[in-house]
Amino acid sequence: MLSVLLSPVVSRAEDASLEYAVKATFLYKLGPFVTWPAHAFETPTGPVNLCVVGRDSFGATLDQAVAGQVIGTRSIAVWRLAAVDRGRACHILYVGTNDPRLAAEVLDAVGGTPTLTVTDGIRDARAKGVVNFVIVASRVRFEIDDHAAAQGGLEISSKVLSLAVAVRPRS
Amino acid sequence: MPTRIFPPSSRFWRVAPRLAAATAVVLIAAAIAAAFFIERAYTDQKQREVSVSAGILASTVTAALVFDDVSAAREYVEALAANPEILSAAVYDETGALFASYARTSDSRPPATAGLALIAVGGDRVAVSVPVRHEGKVIGTVNLLSTIEPLASRLPRYALILLLTLMAAAVVAVLGAAQSALAHVNEELRERARQLQDQIVEREKAEDALRQIQKMETIGQLTGGVAHDFNNLLTIIIGNLDRLERRIDAKADAAELKKVAKFARIGADRAATLTKSLLAFSRRQPLDPKPLDANKLVSNMSDLLRRTLGEHITVQMVGGAGLWRTQADPNQLENAILNLAVNARDAMPEGGRLTIETANAYFDPHHAAQAEVEPGQYIVIAVTDTGGGMTKEVAAQAFEPFFTTKDTSHGTGLGLSQVYGFVKQSGGHVQIYTELGQGTTVKIYLPRLTAEPEAEEVETAPDSVEGRHETILLVEDDPGVRENSAMMLQELGYRVIGASTGAETLQTLERNRQVALLFTDVGLPGSMNGRQLADEVRRRRPELPVLFTTGYARNAIVHDGRLDPGVHLVTKPFSYADLSTALRNLLEARADRTAEARKP
Ligand SMILES: Nc1ncnc2c1ncn2[C@@H]1O[C@H](COP(=O)(O)OP(=O)(O)OP(=O)(O)O)[C@@H](O)[C@H]1O
Ligand SMILES: [Mg+2]
Repeated sequence: MLSVLLSPVVSRAEDASLEYAVKATFLYKLGPFVTWPAHAFETPTGPVNLCVVGRDSFGATLDQAVAGQVIGTRSIAVWRLAAVDRGRACHILYVGTNDPRLAAEVLDAVGGTPTLTVTDGIRDARAKGVVNFVIVASRVRFEIDDHAAAQGGLEISSKVLSLAVAVRPRS
Repeated sequence: MPTRIFPPSSRFWRVAPRLAAATAVVLIAAAIAAAFFIERAYTDQKQREVSVSAGILASTVTAALVFDDVSAAREYVEALAANPEILSAAVYDETGALFASYARTSDSRPPATAGLALIAVGGDRVAVSVPVRHEGKVIGTVNLLSTIEPLASRLPRYALILLLTLMAAAVVAVLGAAQSALAHVNEELRERARQLQDQIVEREKAEDALRQIQKMETIGQLTGGVAHDFNNLLTIIIGNLDRLERRIDAKADAAELKKVAKFARIGADRAATLTKSLLAFSRRQPLDPKPLDANKLVSNMSDLLRRTLGEHITVQMVGGAGLWRTQADPNQLENAILNLAVNARDAMPEGGRLTIETANAYFDPHHAAQAEVEPGQYIVIAVTDTGGGMTKEVAAQAFEPFFTTKDTSHGTGLGLSQVYGFVKQSGGHVQIYTELGQGTTVKIYLPRLTAEPEAEEVETAPDSVEGRHETILLVEDDPGVRENSAMMLQELGYRVIGASTGAETLQTLERNRQVALLFTDVGLPGSMNGRQLADEVRRRRPELPVLFTTGYARNAIVHDGRLDPGVHLVTKPFSYADLSTALRNLLEARADRTAEARKP
């Protein structure tokens, strides 16, 4: 019951911290529903790199949320980056900006790599990541661009696809 | 021994009813077990189907639970509403709180927490609880409640099975009941048979008792009759002997004495005839059966018959052509025919016709059994009159000794009993056919003679019947009879040596080589009877002729009323003539044989 009450419902008061707490959990919870190509990891047991670029609205919430979490057998490592860097392999990349131009730049930078890009509230279709958080009926939901995921060599579980508010299919 | 109407194998049929009941019970039990098993199999199957549905829901709802997407979860849950059997579906999160649910009816609403007890399940509902797993952890629970096909729609199927089973059981039960009823009837029948058996035994006892009484009656009648007749005759004999003595004392003349002696003799002769008839009926008379031609015997009698019957009765003889020969005592057969003729005469006081017919006859096994004779070939002598006939009652008793409808001066009631005794003793049968006012036929059946014995030596009557002073060894235990016989022998011209027992006879024989003939009674006291004595004497003197005498035929030399071959017999009481003829015949025959033997 408590859990229901505490579920990530965004209150009328626009409790931003609660909203970002939900988004932070979503970031790692997506992991088990995504399959990366083997070459995305340096070692078979290497961690999943969760990178945040741009504005960091999570703060410590993200680190707390992923603490002790695993995706499969891999641990999760949180990286905060000033700019995307092809040298650093980000498996999950949160793009913290409302600006579609900036977002598109970041996406371009990692285009074609096995990176699950996550944008936040982008309206411009060209600037949306593989996953794009949206708020529907006061709840955090997401759109999925399976086409883009396929280009990066990612497989996204149909279970998550079925939850998405909108899906751009692979072909 | 009573016949067993019911074979012992009926034991099976006695347990059959119980067997049938047991079979019916087993059948019904098996049907119930089968129904129960089918029911179980059906609910198991339903449980599996609902489990699969729950599993699918659990896997599809994973992401919704992970991302807390209640509306998506509700969509999945409600998608199950398409299946009309699903009554309710519920998804609980990791803490057990209801996450999404669907209920078709208010009473199937799932509980708010997964931890609470499930809705009562049973009858026509199946509940399944399946955990939702993600990344190796249980992140929630899915509960499904489904109806199974309602019992009401399954019942007809079971009802059919039950009906068929009941029918089978009923058939078995009916068979069992029928068997039991049959067993009961059987038991009753057996009881009846037992009762009947008892009744038969009772009846046989009663009949035996009755027969005994009748026998006593007959014996009483017989002895009474004999005593009466004998007393009459003895009166005649004694009276005349008294008279004789007195006349002798009075020195009466010879003619006078002879007359009185003749009266005594007539009485004695009648007494002898009486005992002969009695013996004939009792089948104890010594018979001397010989091969004979009944046609010849009957035609030889015609003169005698015509004289006996008188002029107002015509006598007709019809001799059957090709008549078989028979074997019987000719004197007794003549006696029998004479008795029948006399009866016929008495039945026709106003005159009539007497017919004597002969013919061949055959007794088939059925009629032979009725007549108590051997089946086979017989000759029949039928004596028919045109007289008054007999009533049924008279005909039924006619053969009984002393039964007569005639007054005492006319009949003794022994005629037909002589006929009966003689015919039966000769292996034959006698039958009366009579109709009141029409007449009577009496048929005598005698067995056909098949193997003709070698022609017996024709015993020629000797020229002289007087003795030639030969010595006769006389054996008789009764001193009175021995005295009488000795006197007769001496008067006939023989010398006599007397003996009373077998042992004495053998000693006497040793001392007296001149004995020419042994004359012995058959019934002797001591260890040796007449027959045995004769055998012993023959062993010592094989050529010595033996003459037997007896008054009673059931003994050593007469078997079945017939004389053994080669045995010579003179029956008591015997006259001078009987004795002298028998002695002379034997002595002459011996003389012939010895003469023959002396020839070179
Ligand atoms: N041919 C017959 N017709 C009618 N009745 C007969 C004839 N033969 C016998 N009977 C009846 O049977 C009875 C018995 O006969 P059975 O010859 O035994 O004795 P009986 O003639 O009376 O006396 P017995 O022969 O001793 O002089 C006779 O009294 C008579 O009533
Ligand atoms: Mg008579």
